[in-house]
Amino acid sequence: MTSKRIAVMRELLSFTGIEEDRLRVEWISAAEGPKFAQAITEFINQIKALGPSRLKVAA
Amino acid sequence: MSEKVRARVKELLDSGKIKGFLGLRKADGHIGPHLFSDAGDLDGLVLGDRERPGDTRYPLNKQLTTLARCYPQESFGVLVRGCDERGLKTLFTWNQLDPAKVVPVGIACPPELAEACECLKPYPDEFLEGERMDGRTFASVARVEALGLPRRLEHWLAEFAKCVKCYGCRDICPMCFCKECTLQQEDLIHTGDLPPENPIFHLTRAVHMAGRCIDCGLCNEACPADIPLRTLYKKVADIIAQEFDYRPGYAKPGEKPPLNILGEAPEH
Repeated sequence: MTSKRIAVMRELLSFTGIEEDRLRVEWISAAEGPKFAQAITEFINQIKALGPSRLKVAA
Repeated sequence: MSEKVRARVKELLDSGKIKGFLGLRKADGHIGPHLFSDAGDLDGLVLGDRERPGDTRYPLNKQLTTLARCYPQESFGVLVRGCDERGLKTLFTWNQLDPAKVVPVGIACPPELAEACECLKPYPDEFLEGERMDGRTFASVARVEALGLPRRLEHWLAEFAKCVKCYGCRDICPMCFCKECTLQQEDLIHTGDLPPENPIFHLTRAVHMAGRCIDCGLCNEACPADIPLRTLYKKVADIIAQEFDYRPGYAKPGEKPPLNILGEAPEH
């Protein structure tokens, strides 16, 4: 269900002018600490590469 | 223009097939929704063309849903355009109306209205007035897609900033029947701001319209700030059509909307 909604959300964000890559979905168990840390670090780097969102600038 | 519809309504009321007919009535120069229950009193019955074709439309399906809830044993007739019929079919799928208790009386839309609505199917399956017009394409969606990402964001943020949070779009939407609305949940959307959280408020509504919106355009008409909501919801409908090969109101009976079923959407 989530993956279906995320698929819709990504395209909607793109249509609204927000980069799709600012949305990410991962399935991680509470017992998978290192995997979580890695996913977050990667995501942070991905977002930093995109630069500040024009959302904050406009608001 | 409305003689055939009037004749059919009279026939349905006389035969007792319906308890009442939910249509439009002209009185004192204005057109409004009306429940016709007396076969002898159909003079004011109109199709909603006050000055231009279809310029007076109401969410008759929404009123029908409320009516059916109060009188679950009775059958009612209802005036439907192409969009209203899509609404009925979708409300049947969502179990808000019983198809055995609804008798639609159809009218087709003229080309000016089909063009203004960018309607894919401006006629119901069966109709008494009007002619079958060609479906249109979503030019308004294409115009936004032609813009680059930064210009798109600029466009939408400017539009959403006009919002006065009247909930008109939600209140008039025939597909909005949730008893507790996400838009009014403090935990999800901060209440008390004007304009409401930009763009969260409208993106939330757009996501909720996925698999639900039948593209009637009443939201656009209701919006006092002229926000092009319909373009947003048309895009969402396109996404669902592309990903799941499903458009609300065009589905075969019994076909479930993809966001209603857990698990993968069925293969087509």
